Amino acid sequence: MCALCGLLGSESHWAASIKGGLPARQERLQRILQANRVLAFYRLRLDDFQGTSYLLTSPTGRAEIVSDLGQVWRVAEQMAGRPLDPLDPKLLAALEGRKR
Amino acid sequence: MSGVAFDVVPVNVLTGFLGSGKTTLLRRLLSSERSTETAVLINEFGEVGIDHLLVGEIAPDVVLLKSGCVCCSIRGELKDAFVRLFSRRQKGEVPPFRRVMVETTGLADPAPILGTLLADPVLRHHFKLGLVVTVVDCINADLQRQLHPVWTAQVAVADRLIVSKADLAGEERCARLRHSLAEMNPAAPIALAADIGSGDDLLLGAGLHGPAAQAEVKRWTNPPRRRALQVLGDEEGRDPRLRPEQNAHGDVTSFCLVFETQIDWTGFGLWLSMLLNRHGANILRVKGILNVTQASYPVAIHGVQHLVHPPVHLKEWPDDDRRSRIVFIVRGLDRQCIERSFAVFSGGL
Repeated sequence: MCALCGLLGSESHWAASIKGGLPARQERLQRILQANRVLAFYRLRLDDFQGTSYLLTSPTGRAEIVSDLGQVWRVAEQMAGRPLDPLDPKLLAALEGRKR
Repeated sequence: MSGVAFDVVPVNVLTGFLGSGKTTLLRRLLSSERSTETAVLINEFGEVGIDHLLVGEIAPDVVLLKSGCVCCSIRGELKDAFVRLFSRRQKGEVPPFRRVMVETTGLADPAPILGTLLADPVLRHHFKLGLVVTVVDCINADLQRQLHPVWTAQVAVADRLIVSKADLAGEERCARLRHSLAEMNPAAPIALAADIGSGDDLLLGAGLHGPAAQAEVKRWTNPPRRRALQVLGDEEGRDPRLRPEQNAHGDVTSFCLVFETQIDWTGFGLWLSMLLNRHGANILRVKGILNVTQASYPVAIHGVQHLVHPPVHLKEWPDDDRRSRIVFIVRGLDRQCIERSFAVFSGGL
Protein backbone atom coordinates (compact mmCIF):
# COMPACT_ATOMS: atom_id res chain seq x y z
CA MET A 1 0.00 0.00 0.00
CA CYS A 2 1.15 3.51 -0.75
CA ALA A 3 1.42 5.19 2.65
CA LEU A 4 0.72 8.62 1.22
CA CYS A 5 -2.35 7.97 -0.89
CA GLY A 6 -3.69 4.79 0.74
CA LEU A 7 -3.97 2.86 -2.53
CA LEU A 8 -3.58 -0.89 -2.36
CA GLY A 9 -1.43 -1.69 -5.37
CA SER A 10 -2.52 -0.16 -8.64
CA GLU A 11 -5.17 -0.88 -11.22
CA SER A 12 -3.97 -3.47 -13.72
CA HIS A 13 -5.98 -2.10 -16.64
CA TRP A 14 -3.76 -0.81 -19.45
CA ALA A 15 -5.37 2.65 -19.38
CA ALA A 16 -4.12 3.15 -15.83
CA SER A 17 -0.55 2.24 -16.64
CA ILE A 18 0.75 5.62 -17.85
CA LYS A 19 1.68 7.72 -14.86
CA GLY A 20 1.60 11.49 -15.14
CA GLY A 21 2.87 13.94 -12.59
CA LEU A 22 -0.09 13.51 -10.26
CA PRO A 23 -0.21 11.23 -7.20
CA ALA A 24 -1.93 7.90 -7.91
CA ARG A 25 -5.14 8.78 -6.09
CA GLN A 26 -5.49 12.08 -7.90
CA GLU A 27 -4.94 10.37 -11.23
CA ARG A 28 -7.64 7.90 -10.33
CA LEU A 29 -10.04 10.69 -9.41
CA GLN A 30 -9.21 12.49 -12.64
CA ARG A 31 -10.09 9.33 -14.55
CA ILE A 32 -13.37 9.05 -12.69
CA LEU A 33 -14.15 12.72 -13.33
CA GLN A 34 -13.70 12.30 -17.08
CA ALA A 35 -15.57 8.98 -17.18
CA ASN A 36 -18.51 10.67 -15.46
CA ARG A 37 -18.72 13.25 -18.24
CA VAL A 38 -19.40 10.36 -20.62
CA LEU A 39 -21.56 8.34 -18.24
CA ALA A 40 -23.74 11.38 -17.43
CA PHE A 41 -25.09 11.12 -20.98
CA TYR A 42 -26.51 7.74 -19.99
CA ARG A 43 -27.62 9.01 -16.52
CA LEU A 44 -25.04 6.84 -14.77
CA ARG A 45 -22.44 7.78 -12.21
CA LEU A 46 -19.03 6.38 -11.29
CA ASP A 47 -17.36 6.74 -7.89
CA ASP A 48 -14.19 5.51 -6.33
CA PHE A 49 -14.56 2.55 -3.98
CA GLN A 50 -11.76 2.27 -1.44
CA GLY A 51 -9.14 3.18 -4.00
CA THR A 52 -9.29 -0.36 -5.41
CA SER A 53 -12.57 -0.60 -7.32
CA TYR A 54 -15.25 1.57 -8.82
CA LEU A 55 -18.89 1.95 -7.82
CA LEU A 56 -21.27 2.38 -10.73
CA THR A 57 -24.77 3.64 -9.90
CA SER A 58 -27.93 4.26 -11.88
CA PRO A 59 -30.67 6.85 -11.22
CA THR A 60 -32.94 4.07 -9.98
CA GLY A 61 -30.53 3.23 -7.20
CA ARG A 62 -28.97 0.16 -8.75
CA ALA A 63 -25.30 -0.08 -7.81
CA GLU A 64 -22.49 -2.41 -8.84
CA ILE A 65 -18.84 -2.61 -7.93
CA VAL A 66 -16.50 -3.03 -10.88
CA SER A 67 -12.80 -3.72 -10.74
CA ASP A 68 -11.39 -1.82 -13.69
CA LEU A 69 -12.13 0.47 -16.59
CA GLY A 70 -12.68 -2.39 -19.01
CA GLN A 71 -15.56 -3.66 -16.90
CA VAL A 72 -17.06 -0.20 -16.35
CA TRP A 73 -18.36 0.04 -19.92
CA ARG A 74 -19.71 -3.51 -19.98
CA VAL A 75 -21.60 -3.14 -16.71
CA ALA A 76 -22.73 0.37 -17.66
CA GLU A 77 -24.32 -1.03 -20.82
CA GLN A 78 -26.26 -3.53 -18.74
CA MET A 79 -27.41 -0.82 -16.33
CA ALA A 80 -28.32 1.66 -19.07
CA GLY A 81 -30.06 -1.04 -21.12
CA ARG A 82 -28.48 0.23 -24.31
CA PRO A 83 -25.07 0.26 -25.98
CA LEU A 84 -22.52 2.84 -24.89
CA ASP A 85 -21.06 3.77 -28.23
CA PRO A 86 -18.25 6.33 -28.45
CA LEU A 87 -19.07 6.74 -32.15
CA ASP A 88 -22.66 7.82 -31.39
CA PRO A 89 -23.06 11.33 -32.93
CA LYS A 90 -25.45 12.35 -30.13
CA LEU A 91 -22.92 11.48 -27.45
CA LEU A 92 -20.15 13.31 -29.31
CA ALA A 93 -22.35 16.37 -29.79
CA ALA A 94 -23.15 16.37 -26.06
CA LEU A 95 -19.46 16.12 -25.14
CA GLU A 96 -18.51 18.88 -27.59
CA GLY A 97 -21.33 21.05 -26.25
CA ARG A 98 -20.06 20.59 -22.71
CA LYS A 99 -16.56 21.73 -23.69
CA ARG A 100 -17.79 25.02 -25.18
CA MET B 1 20.39 -11.00 -23.72
CA SER B 2 20.03 -7.38 -24.56
CA GLY B 3 16.80 -5.49 -24.28
CA VAL B 4 14.74 -8.15 -22.55
CA ALA B 5 15.08 -9.01 -18.89
CA PHE B 6 16.18 -12.57 -18.28
CA ASP B 7 12.92 -13.57 -16.69
CA VAL B 8 10.68 -11.99 -19.31
CA VAL B 9 10.67 -14.16 -22.41
CA PRO B 10 9.26 -12.88 -25.70
CA VAL B 11 6.69 -15.13 -27.35
CA ASN B 12 6.37 -15.10 -31.12
CA VAL B 13 3.22 -16.58 -32.58
CA LEU B 14 3.34 -18.33 -35.95
CA THR B 15 -0.05 -18.57 -37.54
CA GLY B 16 -1.58 -19.06 -40.98
CA PHE B 17 -4.36 -21.10 -42.50
CA LEU B 18 -4.27 -24.89 -42.84
CA GLY B 19 -1.59 -26.03 -45.25
CA SER B 20 -0.02 -22.62 -45.65
CA GLY B 21 3.45 -23.88 -44.74
CA LYS B 22 3.89 -22.88 -41.11
CA THR B 23 5.80 -25.97 -40.07
CA THR B 24 8.04 -25.83 -43.14
CA LEU B 25 8.88 -22.23 -42.34
CA LEU B 26 9.49 -23.07 -38.69
CA ARG B 27 11.86 -25.89 -39.60
CA ARG B 28 13.87 -23.60 -41.85
CA LEU B 29 13.83 -20.77 -39.35
CA LEU B 30 15.16 -22.89 -36.51
CA SER B 31 17.64 -24.99 -38.41
CA SER B 32 20.70 -23.13 -37.18
CA GLU B 33 22.61 -23.28 -33.95
CA ARG B 34 20.53 -20.45 -32.65
CA SER B 35 17.54 -22.78 -32.50
CA THR B 36 18.56 -23.83 -29.00
CA GLU B 37 17.57 -20.32 -27.99
CA THR B 38 13.99 -21.05 -29.02
CA ALA B 39 11.43 -23.26 -27.30
CA VAL B 40 8.55 -24.34 -29.52
CA LEU B 41 4.92 -24.96 -28.65
CA ILE B 42 2.95 -26.63 -31.38
CA ASN B 43 -0.80 -26.93 -31.46
CA GLU B 44 -2.50 -29.27 -33.87
CA PHE B 45 -6.11 -29.94 -34.56
CA GLY B 46 -6.54 -33.63 -35.12
CA GLU B 47 -6.28 -37.03 -33.56
CA VAL B 48 -2.60 -37.53 -34.20
CA GLY B 49 -0.07 -34.75 -33.91
CA ILE B 50 2.52 -34.82 -36.66
CA ASP B 51 4.08 -31.40 -36.80
CA HIS B 52 6.01 -31.74 -33.55
CA LEU B 53 7.80 -34.79 -34.93
CA LEU B 54 8.94 -32.77 -37.92
CA VAL B 55 10.15 -29.88 -35.82
CA GLY B 56 11.42 -32.01 -32.96
CA GLU B 57 14.39 -33.10 -35.04
CA ILE B 58 15.79 -29.61 -34.96
CA ALA B 59 14.45 -28.00 -31.80
CA PRO B 60 14.62 -30.18 -28.69
CA ASP B 61 12.20 -28.21 -26.55
CA VAL B 62 9.07 -28.93 -28.53
CA VAL B 63 5.82 -29.33 -26.67
CA LEU B 64 2.78 -30.59 -28.51
CA LEU B 65 -0.64 -29.30 -27.52
CA LYS B 66 -2.71 -31.97 -29.14
CA SER B 67 -6.14 -31.90 -27.65
CA GLY B 68 -7.76 -29.36 -29.87
CA CYS B 69 -7.61 -25.93 -31.34
CA VAL B 70 -5.50 -23.63 -29.22
CA CYS B 71 -7.76 -20.64 -29.69
CA CYS B 72 -10.99 -22.09 -28.38
CA SER B 73 -10.59 -25.23 -26.33
CA ILE B 74 -7.23 -25.55 -24.67
CA ARG B 75 -6.20 -22.19 -23.41
CA GLY B 76 -5.76 -23.83 -20.00
CA GLU B 77 -3.38 -26.31 -21.57
CA LEU B 78 -1.53 -23.50 -23.31
CA LYS B 79 -1.07 -21.75 -19.99
CA ASP B 80 0.11 -24.96 -18.32
CA ALA B 81 2.59 -25.55 -21.14
CA PHE B 82 4.02 -22.07 -20.72
CA VAL B 83 4.29 -22.44 -16.96
CA ARG B 84 5.93 -25.88 -17.30
CA LEU B 85 8.40 -24.60 -19.85
CA PHE B 86 9.37 -21.65 -17.70
CA SER B 87 9.71 -23.81 -14.62
CA ARG B 88 11.99 -26.30 -16.45
CA ARG B 89 14.05 -23.41 -17.76
CA GLN B 90 14.55 -21.96 -14.32
CA LYS B 91 15.52 -25.38 -12.93
CA GLY B 92 18.06 -25.83 -15.71
CA GLU B 93 16.27 -28.88 -17.16
CA VAL B 94 16.15 -27.25 -20.57
CA PRO B 95 18.56 -24.74 -22.09
CA PRO B 96 17.83 -21.14 -21.09
CA PHE B 97 15.82 -20.36 -24.19
CA ARG B 98 15.45 -16.71 -25.10
CA ARG B 99 12.15 -16.90 -26.90
CA VAL B 100 9.15 -19.14 -27.40
CA MET B 101 7.55 -19.80 -30.76
CA VAL B 102 3.92 -20.92 -30.68
CA GLU B 103 2.70 -22.53 -33.88
CA THR B 104 -1.07 -22.40 -33.91
CA THR B 105 -3.45 -24.62 -35.79
CA GLY B 106 -4.51 -23.30 -39.15
CA LEU B 107 -8.02 -22.85 -37.81
CA ALA B 108 -7.04 -20.68 -34.86
CA ASP B 109 -7.96 -17.05 -34.41
CA PRO B 110 -4.77 -15.72 -32.79
CA ALA B 111 -6.57 -13.14 -30.60
CA PRO B 112 -7.56 -15.51 -27.75
CA ILE B 113 -4.01 -16.86 -27.63
CA LEU B 114 -2.68 -13.36 -27.19
CA GLY B 115 -5.39 -12.82 -24.60
CA THR B 116 -4.13 -15.78 -22.58
CA LEU B 117 -0.66 -14.26 -22.49
CA LEU B 118 -2.01 -10.87 -21.46
CA ALA B 119 -4.65 -11.80 -18.97
CA ASP B 120 -3.08 -14.64 -17.02
CA PRO B 121 -1.50 -13.22 -13.86
CA VAL B 122 1.38 -15.72 -13.94
CA LEU B 123 2.14 -15.64 -17.65
CA ARG B 124 2.07 -11.89 -18.03
CA HIS B 125 4.96 -11.49 -15.62
CA HIS B 126 7.20 -14.01 -17.38
CA PHE B 127 6.23 -13.76 -21.04
CA LYS B 128 5.66 -10.84 -23.39
CA LEU B 129 4.19 -11.00 -26.83
CA GLY B 130 6.92 -10.52 -29.43
CA LEU B 131 5.82 -10.81 -33.04
CA VAL B 132 2.87 -12.41 -34.74
CA VAL B 133 3.98 -14.01 -38.01
CA THR B 134 1.27 -15.03 -40.46
CA VAL B 135 1.98 -17.35 -43.36
CA VAL B 136 -0.32 -16.83 -46.35
CA ASP B 137 -0.76 -19.52 -48.98
CA CYS B 138 -0.44 -17.74 -52.34
CA ILE B 139 -2.28 -20.49 -54.21
CA ASN B 140 -5.36 -20.70 -52.02
CA ALA B 141 -5.53 -17.22 -50.51
CA ASP B 142 -8.56 -16.02 -52.50
CA LEU B 143 -10.64 -19.07 -51.62
CA GLN B 144 -9.62 -19.08 -47.96
CA ARG B 145 -10.41 -15.39 -47.63
CA GLN B 146 -13.90 -15.93 -49.04
CA LEU B 147 -14.75 -19.04 -47.05
CA HIS B 148 -12.98 -18.60 -43.72
CA PRO B 149 -13.26 -15.38 -41.68
CA VAL B 150 -10.36 -16.58 -39.53
CA TRP B 151 -8.07 -16.00 -42.53
CA THR B 152 -8.79 -12.27 -42.31
CA ALA B 153 -8.21 -12.27 -38.56
CA GLN B 154 -4.86 -14.00 -39.05
CA VAL B 155 -3.73 -11.47 -41.66
CA ALA B 156 -4.94 -8.45 -39.71
CA VAL B 157 -3.16 -9.44 -36.51
CA ALA B 158 0.18 -10.03 -38.23
CA ASP B 159 3.35 -8.10 -37.52
CA ARG B 160 4.99 -9.97 -40.41
CA LEU B 161 3.29 -11.47 -43.45
CA ILE B 162 5.03 -14.34 -45.20
CA VAL B 163 3.77 -15.41 -48.61
CA SER B 164 4.31 -19.10 -49.30
CA LYS B 165 4.11 -21.12 -52.54
CA ALA B 166 4.85 -17.99 -54.58
CA ASP B 167 6.90 -20.03 -57.03
CA LEU B 168 3.89 -22.22 -57.79
CA ALA B 169 1.47 -19.32 -58.09
CA GLY B 170 3.37 -17.22 -60.61
CA GLU B 171 4.54 -13.65 -60.49
CA GLU B 172 1.27 -11.92 -61.34
CA ARG B 173 -0.80 -13.83 -58.82
CA CYS B 174 1.82 -13.27 -56.15
CA ALA B 175 1.95 -9.53 -56.91
CA ARG B 176 -1.82 -9.33 -56.65
CA LEU B 177 -1.80 -11.08 -53.26
CA ARG B 178 0.94 -8.83 -51.95
CA HIS B 179 -1.03 -5.80 -53.03
CA SER B 180 -4.13 -7.14 -51.32
CA LEU B 181 -2.24 -7.94 -48.09
CA ALA B 182 -0.65 -4.48 -48.09
CA GLU B 183 -4.10 -2.92 -48.39
CA MET B 184 -5.42 -4.94 -45.47
CA ASN B 185 -2.44 -4.65 -43.16
CA PRO B 186 -0.17 -1.83 -44.32
CA ALA B 187 1.99 -1.91 -41.19
CA ALA B 188 3.26 -5.47 -41.63
CA PRO B 189 6.33 -6.09 -43.81
CA ILE B 190 5.64 -8.71 -46.48
CA ALA B 191 8.27 -11.29 -47.44
CA LEU B 192 8.35 -14.44 -49.50
CA ALA B 193 8.76 -17.67 -47.56
CA ALA B 194 11.53 -18.70 -49.95
CA ASP B 195 13.56 -15.65 -48.88
CA ILE B 196 13.43 -16.51 -45.18
CA GLY B 197 16.61 -18.10 -43.99
CA SER B 198 17.67 -19.78 -40.80
CA GLY B 199 17.65 -17.51 -37.75
CA ASP B 200 16.03 -14.63 -39.64
CA ASP B 201 15.76 -11.67 -37.28
CA LEU B 202 12.77 -10.34 -39.15
CA LEU B 203 10.76 -13.22 -37.68
CA LEU B 204 12.70 -14.02 -34.51
CA GLY B 205 12.84 -10.47 -33.13
CA ALA B 206 11.04 -9.48 -29.95
CA GLY B 207 8.99 -6.64 -31.44
CA LEU B 208 8.22 -3.87 -28.98
CA HIS B 209 10.05 -5.71 -26.20
CA GLY B 210 13.32 -6.04 -28.04
CA PRO B 211 16.19 -3.67 -28.70
CA ALA B 212 14.64 -2.63 -32.01
CA ALA B 213 11.41 -1.25 -30.53
CA GLN B 214 11.81 2.12 -32.22
CA ALA B 215 12.33 0.52 -35.61
CA GLU B 216 9.27 -1.63 -35.03
CA VAL B 217 7.09 1.40 -34.30
CA LYS B 218 8.52 3.16 -37.32
CA ARG B 219 7.31 0.25 -39.45
CA TRP B 220 3.79 0.79 -38.13
CA THR B 221 3.61 4.45 -38.94
CA ASN B 222 5.71 4.44 -42.13
CA PRO B 223 4.22 1.35 -43.64
CA PRO B 224 6.17 -0.69 -46.14
CA ARG B 225 3.09 -0.71 -48.35
CA ARG B 226 4.60 1.52 -50.98
CA ARG B 227 7.70 -0.65 -51.07
CA ALA B 228 5.56 -3.73 -51.50
CA LEU B 229 3.59 -2.10 -54.27
CA GLN B 230 6.63 -0.86 -56.08
CA VAL B 231 7.49 -4.40 -57.08
CA LEU B 232 4.62 -3.99 -59.50
CA GLY B 233 6.53 -1.28 -61.29
CA ASP B 234 3.94 1.48 -60.86
CA GLU B 235 4.82 4.62 -58.94
CA GLU B 236 1.45 4.71 -57.27
CA GLY B 237 1.23 0.97 -56.94
CA ARG B 238 -1.94 1.00 -58.99
CA ASP B 239 -1.24 -1.71 -61.49
CA PRO B 240 -4.21 -2.05 -63.85
CA ARG B 241 -4.03 -5.80 -63.39
CA LEU B 242 -5.03 -5.33 -59.77
CA ARG B 243 -8.18 -3.29 -60.13
CA PRO B 244 -10.70 -6.12 -60.40
CA GLU B 245 -9.42 -7.51 -57.11
CA GLN B 246 -9.31 -4.28 -55.15
CA ASN B 247 -12.41 -4.95 -53.09
CA ALA B 248 -11.70 -8.61 -52.61
CA HIS B 249 -11.18 -8.23 -48.87
CA GLY B 250 -14.75 -7.05 -48.40
CA ASP B 251 -15.32 -4.37 -45.82
CA VAL B 252 -11.94 -4.72 -44.08
CA THR B 253 -10.11 -1.41 -44.32
CA SER B 254 -7.05 0.12 -42.75
CA PHE B 255 -6.23 3.73 -42.08
CA CYS B 256 -3.91 5.85 -40.00
CA LEU B 257 -5.18 8.63 -37.75
CA VAL B 258 -2.76 11.48 -37.21
CA PHE B 259 -3.16 13.93 -34.35
CA GLU B 260 -1.14 17.12 -34.39
CA THR B 261 -1.47 18.21 -30.76
CA GLN B 262 -0.57 16.33 -27.61
CA ILE B 263 -3.09 13.77 -26.43
CA ASP B 264 -4.65 13.62 -23.00
CA TRP B 265 -3.92 10.03 -21.91
CA THR B 266 -6.87 9.82 -19.54
CA GLY B 267 -9.33 10.80 -22.26
CA PHE B 268 -7.61 8.50 -24.74
CA GLY B 269 -7.75 5.55 -22.32
CA LEU B 270 -11.46 6.10 -21.73
CA TRP B 271 -12.08 6.40 -25.46
CA LEU B 272 -10.17 3.30 -26.58
CA SER B 273 -11.51 1.11 -23.76
CA MET B 274 -15.06 2.25 -24.58
CA LEU B 275 -14.52 1.78 -28.33
CA LEU B 276 -13.13 -1.73 -27.91
CA ASN B 277 -15.91 -2.68 -25.51
CA ARG B 278 -18.52 -1.80 -28.14
CA HIS B 279 -16.72 -2.48 -31.43
CA GLY B 280 -13.82 -4.75 -30.42
CA ALA B 281 -14.97 -7.62 -32.63
CA ASN B 282 -14.66 -5.34 -35.67
CA ILE B 283 -11.39 -3.70 -34.72
CA LEU B 284 -9.00 -6.34 -35.95
CA ARG B 285 -5.88 -4.41 -35.06
CA VAL B 286 -4.95 -1.07 -33.55
CA LYS B 287 -1.42 0.13 -32.99
CA GLY B 288 0.42 3.36 -32.91
CA ILE B 289 2.62 5.88 -31.19
CA LEU B 290 1.27 8.66 -29.01
CA ASN B 291 2.58 12.01 -27.87
CA VAL B 292 0.78 12.33 -24.53
CA THR B 293 0.61 15.32 -22.23
CA GLN B 294 1.33 13.15 -19.19
CA ALA B 295 4.71 11.85 -20.38
CA SER B 296 7.85 13.27 -21.91
CA TYR B 297 8.51 10.05 -23.84
CA PRO B 298 6.53 8.51 -26.69
CA VAL B 299 4.05 5.78 -25.78
CA ALA B 300 3.48 2.82 -28.09
CA ILE B 301 0.12 1.07 -27.92
CA HIS B 302 -1.08 -2.05 -29.67
CA GLY B 303 -4.20 -4.10 -29.42
CA VAL B 304 -6.06 -6.94 -31.10
CA GLN B 305 -9.86 -6.96 -31.06
CA HIS B 306 -10.92 -6.51 -27.40
CA LEU B 307 -7.37 -6.78 -26.08
CA VAL B 308 -4.86 -4.01 -25.52
CA HIS B 309 -1.30 -4.79 -24.54
CA PRO B 310 0.23 -2.75 -21.74
CA PRO B 311 1.51 0.47 -23.34
CA VAL B 312 5.27 0.53 -23.89
CA HIS B 313 7.35 3.59 -23.08
CA LEU B 314 9.87 4.21 -25.83
CA LYS B 315 13.16 5.85 -24.93
CA GLU B 316 13.04 8.09 -27.96
CA TRP B 317 10.99 8.89 -31.03
CA PRO B 318 11.66 6.63 -34.03
CA ASP B 319 11.95 9.70 -36.32
CA ASP B 320 11.56 13.48 -36.35
CA ASP B 321 7.79 13.29 -36.55
CA ARG B 322 6.31 14.10 -33.12
CA ARG B 323 2.69 13.67 -34.08
CA SER B 324 0.55 10.92 -32.62
CA ARG B 325 -0.24 8.26 -35.21
CA ILE B 326 -2.57 5.31 -34.80
CA VAL B 327 -3.10 2.58 -37.39
CA PHE B 328 -6.49 0.85 -37.43
CA ILE B 329 -7.52 -2.28 -39.31
CA VAL B 330 -11.29 -2.44 -39.04
CA ARG B 331 -14.22 -4.32 -40.44
CA GLY B 332 -17.24 -2.24 -41.44
CA LEU B 333 -16.43 0.83 -39.33
CA ASP B 334 -16.31 4.31 -40.78
CA ARG B 335 -13.02 6.18 -40.61
CA GLN B 336 -14.63 9.61 -40.25
CA CYS B 337 -16.73 8.46 -37.28
CA ILE B 338 -13.67 7.08 -35.48
CA GLU B 339 -11.64 10.19 -36.30
CA ARG B 340 -14.27 12.55 -34.93
CA SER B 341 -14.77 10.48 -31.81
CA PHE B 342 -11.01 10.26 -31.26
CA ALA B 343 -10.68 14.04 -31.53
CA VAL B 344 -13.46 14.66 -29.01
CA PHE B 345 -12.13 12.26 -26.39
CA SER B 346 -8.39 12.66 -26.77
CA GLY B 347 -8.49 16.42 -26.42
CA GLY B 348 -9.59 15.92 -22.81
CA LEU B 349 -13.20 15.65 -21.68
